[in-house]
Amino acid sequence: MTVLVACTLFFSALPAAAQTSPPEKDPGSGLSPEELQEIEAAVGKDQTASSPGAPGDSSPGGTAPLPVPRVLSNPWIDMSFILDVALAAFTAEEPLQGGGHDPSRNGFALQQLELSLSSVVDPYFRFNSNIVFSQFGVEIEEAYATTLDLPANLQLRAGQFLTRFGRLNNTHPHSWDFVDQPFVLSRVFGGEGNRGLGLELSWLAPLPWYVELLGSVTDANGESTARSFFGATQSRVVSPFDFQFTSALKQFFPLSDALSLMWGLSAVTGPNASGHRNHSDVFGTDLYLKYREVQGNDPTVLALQAEVLYRRRQAPEALLSDWGGYAQFHWRFAQRWATNARYEFGTAAHGQDGRLAPDPLDPEWTATRQRLSANLTFWPTEFSRVRLQAATDRVGWRDEPDYSAFLAFEVVMGAHGAHAF
Amino acid sequence: MRHLFTALSAALLCLLSLPAHANLNVVTSVPDLAALAKAIGGDKADVTSLAVPSQDPHFVDARPNLALALNRADLLITVGLELEVGWLPTLQLGARNAKIQTGNPGYLDASQFVKLLEVPTAKVERSQGDVHPGGNPHYLYDPRAAVTVAQGIAARMAQLDSKNAATFQANLQKFTTDLEKARADWEKRLAGLRGAPVISYHRTTAYLSDWLGFTQLAFLEPKPGIPPNPSHVAKVLTEGRAQKARFLLQEDYYPDTTSQLVASKLPAPLVVIPGGTNFRGGETYLQHLEDVVKRLEQGLAGKGT
Repeated sequence: MTVLVACTLFFSALPAAAQTSPPEKDPGSGLSPEELQEIEAAVGKDQTASSPGAPGDSSPGGTAPLPVPRVLSNPWIDMSFILDVALAAFTAEEPLQGGGHDPSRNGFALQQLELSLSSVVDPYFRFNSNIVFSQFGVEIEEAYATTLDLPANLQLRAGQFLTRFGRLNNTHPHSWDFVDQPFVLSRVFGGEGNRGLGLELSWLAPLPWYVELLGSVTDANGESTARSFFGATQSRVVSPFDFQFTSALKQFFPLSDALSLMWGLSAVTGPNASGHRNHSDVFGTDLYLKYREVQGNDPTVLALQAEVLYRRRQAPEALLSDWGGYAQFHWRFAQRWATNARYEFGTAAHGQDGRLAPDPLDPEWTATRQRLSANLTFWPTEFSRVRLQAATDRVGWRDEPDYSAFLAFEVVMGAHGAHAF
Repeated sequence: MRHLFTALSAALLCLLSLPAHANLNVVTSVPDLAALAKAIGGDKADVTSLAVPSQDPHFVDARPNLALALNRADLLITVGLELEVGWLPTLQLGARNAKIQTGNPGYLDASQFVKLLEVPTAKVERSQGDVHPGGNPHYLYDPRAAVTVAQGIAARMAQLDSKNAATFQANLQKFTTDLEKARADWEKRLAGLRGAPVISYHRTTAYLSDWLGFTQLAFLEPKPGIPPNPSHVAKVLTEGRAQKARFLLQEDYYPDTTSQLVASKLPAPLVVIPGGTNFRGGETYLQHLEDVVKRLEQGLAGKGT
């Protein structure tokens, strides 16, 4: 509770910090106190009904940072640093935070320091990379080249990349509406999301609406495939069945200038580490409905985002399946302010007969888990963000619900590029 | 089964042949550029604008349907100077169209044809607000800049579609003649604006003030892109009163409560100008500027819009 009060005070202090000295202390303005009060009220009103631009909409593909001086760049490379830190409080002794960037214990957490480098290589390729620094080392999260000049609406990516399964898997924490990852992703794909070294081919269909079809083949081993595929235990590829294959269909419907609908279907298959030729399959669907007014100066943004994942795994003498998903609602109600709410669920693993089955990956996961999170977000400018988030985790196999609160802070330095929608 | 296969093949062929079009397919980032491109391309060009005029061009959602428009484009025309850096690069990459990639003949940065204003001469950083390191990108408010941009567009269209070069040249000639004639009239009507002190919301008015000669007294934003705060607004109001500001000027996509209050306190009219040409509604660049001039004229006469 103390944390919440402190956070509230901090939030309420921020808008004032973003301003210069209070008007009544402005000597020699020649304005009456009533006029100064009127100005304060008018500015306040504009802050809540203001330019649709200004602070970045942090949802994936939301408004990206304004043009910036290339203070951290040279003419050939766009470079940026993004710092995420958080103060966390949990009621549970062992919080069930599964995301690699999630705050996971009481106290301060360096969620990540991301170095993003990108550049056009030559007339044929673009290069992107995200290198993540933590307190424990450096990791190449992504480093890939994308073609610029393939015929027939094709595009190829090669290198290490987050697979484009669903909506959230291939995004980074600074584009999330929440401080932490939905637990369905860390449960199915791991704390770092599903990624690997490989190739991706995508095709934009020549249809009147946006239809993109993609397929990728990546190594099934490594830490970022540990939850459903080979993981770190296997490394030898002896047949094409030892790779992970991902496919997705993404469709976009511009319902009006203000209303957008994106719908995706995804599937991934690959070998798991439970036995020779044992496979895992994950199927998913994702939906993103966004309203953003383009007439007048209304700052309102409403967005509904949901993903559902179904996983099927071959295990020794069993075929396990589980479900999970989340739905979240984003409401930017003022130029600098937004609130978000999220509901998540995940079932226990079931066998072929539909009965509960022991899950070797999560032996304690014997009942349905549900989590409800909400946050308040404030952007001093589009290059910084403060969030206060609270959650209640209804873990079916624990006696009491867990509660958590985060105060998270983010700064973006440099020429960070635009996000996809 | 054979009939089904034939029908499917025919349908596929139809779909694949959809993008083929005789006209030059031009996509522009903002509607002002679309209006210029249409004036030059005439019936030889199909023109689309990615942004709508009521949107702040700094902030446009990179919606996938815009990438689809770019996928089918022969020519992409941008304002440049990093105005579109927050949304256009991801669309260009997603378009899978080599023609419109930066550096190729199908990509045209219109800022290269303009005498730029407010180009920083010293090191810039974000503490100064959202400054554009290449110079102020809002040059399409100046009809003189529009003429040089139109010349650049005509030259590029002629390069991409040489068989219609004469048409583009004739359209350019007509556009230039009409615009120059209108400009003389606009300058006459707004002669009283020369030297007049004006307060603006954002630094979008550099080229307008350079053309019409009004003095840019102050901005409601303390720094570009940073929303007004009470102490800064108080200073602007005090200065506006001391210098007898003639009117307050802003685009329709900025909030206007503070502007209305300041205008009433000065007192002076609040002139709200459209952020861009209503290209989709059939408005031409000339009609758009005529609208802007009319509103400025009203402001000069003491009336708000």
